[in-house]
Amino acid sequence: MSDLLEKYVRPEKNPGTACKGCGLRLAHRKVLEAIDELGLAQGDVVWGTGIGCSGRQTFVTWKGDTFAGTHGRVYAMATGLRLALPPEKRLILTVGDGDAFTIGFLHLLNAARRNVDMTVVVFDNLGYQSTGGQYGVTTPLGSKTDSSPYGAWEPNWTQGGFDVLRILKESGATFLARHTVLQGHEPVESLKKAIQNRGFSVVQLIYPCVTHYGVQALGTRDLAKIYDWFRERTADDLSADANTHFTTGITHDASGSRVEFAAGLRQFVASVQKGVGNGETD
Amino acid sequence: MKRTFDTGNAAITEAAIRAGCNLFAGYPITPATEIAENMSRRLPQVGGYYLQAEDENAALHICNGGSIGGLKAMTATSGPGFILFADAFGWAVSSEVPVVIVNSQRVGPVSGITGAPGQGEFYLSRYLTHGGNFETIVLAPSSVQEAYRLTVRAFYLAERFRTPVIVLADQMVTDGWETLELPETDAEFLAMGLEVVPRRIHPGPEFYPATDDIDVPPVVLGHNTGAACSDWTPTDRGHDTEDITWQHKHAWRLIHKILNHRDLIDEADQWYLDDDPEVILVAYGTPSRVVQNAVNAARRDGLSVGGIRPISLWPFQDHLFKRRAIYLVVELNWDGQLVREVQRAAADGSQVHFWGRCGELPTSAELLEDITTLLKHEPLARDGWRTEKW
Repeated sequence: MSDLLEKYVRPEKNPGTACKGCGLRLAHRKVLEAIDELGLAQGDVVWGTGIGCSGRQTFVTWKGDTFAGTHGRVYAMATGLRLALPPEKRLILTVGDGDAFTIGFLHLLNAARRNVDMTVVVFDNLGYQSTGGQYGVTTPLGSKTDSSPYGAWEPNWTQGGFDVLRILKESGATFLARHTVLQGHEPVESLKKAIQNRGFSVVQLIYPCVTHYGVQALGTRDLAKIYDWFRERTADDLSADANTHFTTGITHDASGSRVEFAAGLRQFVASVQKGVGNGETD
Repeated sequence: MKRTFDTGNAAITEAAIRAGCNLFAGYPITPATEIAENMSRRLPQVGGYYLQAEDENAALHICNGGSIGGLKAMTATSGPGFILFADAFGWAVSSEVPVVIVNSQRVGPVSGITGAPGQGEFYLSRYLTHGGNFETIVLAPSSVQEAYRLTVRAFYLAERFRTPVIVLADQMVTDGWETLELPETDAEFLAMGLEVVPRRIHPGPEFYPATDDIDVPPVVLGHNTGAACSDWTPTDRGHDTEDITWQHKHAWRLIHKILNHRDLIDEADQWYLDDDPEVILVAYGTPSRVVQNAVNAARRDGLSVGGIRPISLWPFQDHLFKRRAIYLVVELNWDGQLVREVQRAAADGSQVHFWGRCGELPTSAELLEDITTLLKHEPLARDGWRTEKW
């Protein structure tokens, strides 16, 4: 594993700056494993990040080209960047649940609508942890956090019949998966498919925050106990009860079924230049 | 030269295309919509990309993303969209990314009145993001022809200074129809004093050198240079840091790369100042056209009057106001914005007066009346908010 870090991660950022025991390290490694297993080199990937734990801890870790966007806007930036990059270049974004599903959700939905070729890996630590632990839209109902001292009450997007990935499916995303970082190689396999999809992919990767969610919601910093809580709550079955479990797996795979945005736009522009004029893509 | 009769919106579009713009992302808004419409027609013809963003915040972020990929990007809007640029503008300033922003000012605050000219974003254009620690380049056209010239200039300065450049127009400049001469050859283009700087690619690894140099190539991703750019305070390699000494180097650079090369930015028209006139009228954008008429008329009557039209608004040209005089600052707002800077910059012993209105221009006759009053050293008549000693 250290070979993987040496291969892809800048020495100044190895080891990283995440808290001791933070599941983000596992999440980060899953992405690197997927890249490695796909045989991608440093120059094959451009890596973007958002704000929050996931953004701050993974920004400029990638040895190749890398950027960080303002909070929630990295999907819009990636849309512009995608038009400039060669199609074969893989564009991977590591962002948080707040970045993707709340402040940046408008841009995420529109990137899905356009089917822009990027892989958004949502490192989901079940709330706003870099600001000290406040509930978000993936925080399990009833969780005690610093902004929900009596238990999280506000409806979220993962329970009560909601599934944020289903909204993305309806918005046009062509690959969607959800895993926890404690599921061994399964997330890596999904990440590989996501990265290979020439379109808009989202992989929600749930990981334990020891420092805030562990202490505030689970009442412990004990890694074994926290991992147990996650494992007990994880279902390999997508049809399991989402009110009590993280339902995991590939929720939608329509890779290659829609025209990728940049490719479509290039074709459209070429057709206009050829004097077709009506701009219809063939 | 191709002589046409067209709008400022068309002039801005043709200028952008001539300057090498190949990405426009925008959101329809009166009175800047026609720029988007024109770009949607023209860009595909030259192989460029037109996108309609989900909002203005996304529009400028898409431009930023395209620019860090090596595209030359522009967006255009009016007040309610301009305010939404705050987030992306700061990112471009700090990451030192070339991008061009056009704002056709209308009447505010907020949605205000859509189809009438205002000048409410003089200060907002200077501070279009939070946090301070930066300088901003803002250019203000007052005619269709000048909208063409300054849009080309904006792309030129954006590349050389690697920073966003704002073209601060108003509704009359962008919607107005005037004679527009478009260069048809490179020689004609050069003869207009215009130049295009192609996108260069920073080879790394010191993407953010501790220097006030301009002409540092921008950070461009996709060439495996280890390019790194972000919203965080950068080290010279673009790594995020919380070290205040790096922050100081970064802020120093953002400020002084602009302040130390003002000769490339500063631009103004000065009318009849050689004989140190007693009264000097000041305006930018469309109102300056009326001011010029009024000053010309006053001169014909032998009155001791001159005029100043800042063409580059920011950095503010304090040096223009070193004459001791009675200044009358004419603006398309009721609150007075430009006048505050003139008051700050004016030589000791000067008087600074404000002439404000919004949505419609002053007339030459109105200005001449006040010029005459000021020359008699009499107080300006108050007509509601019309004239106010500042």
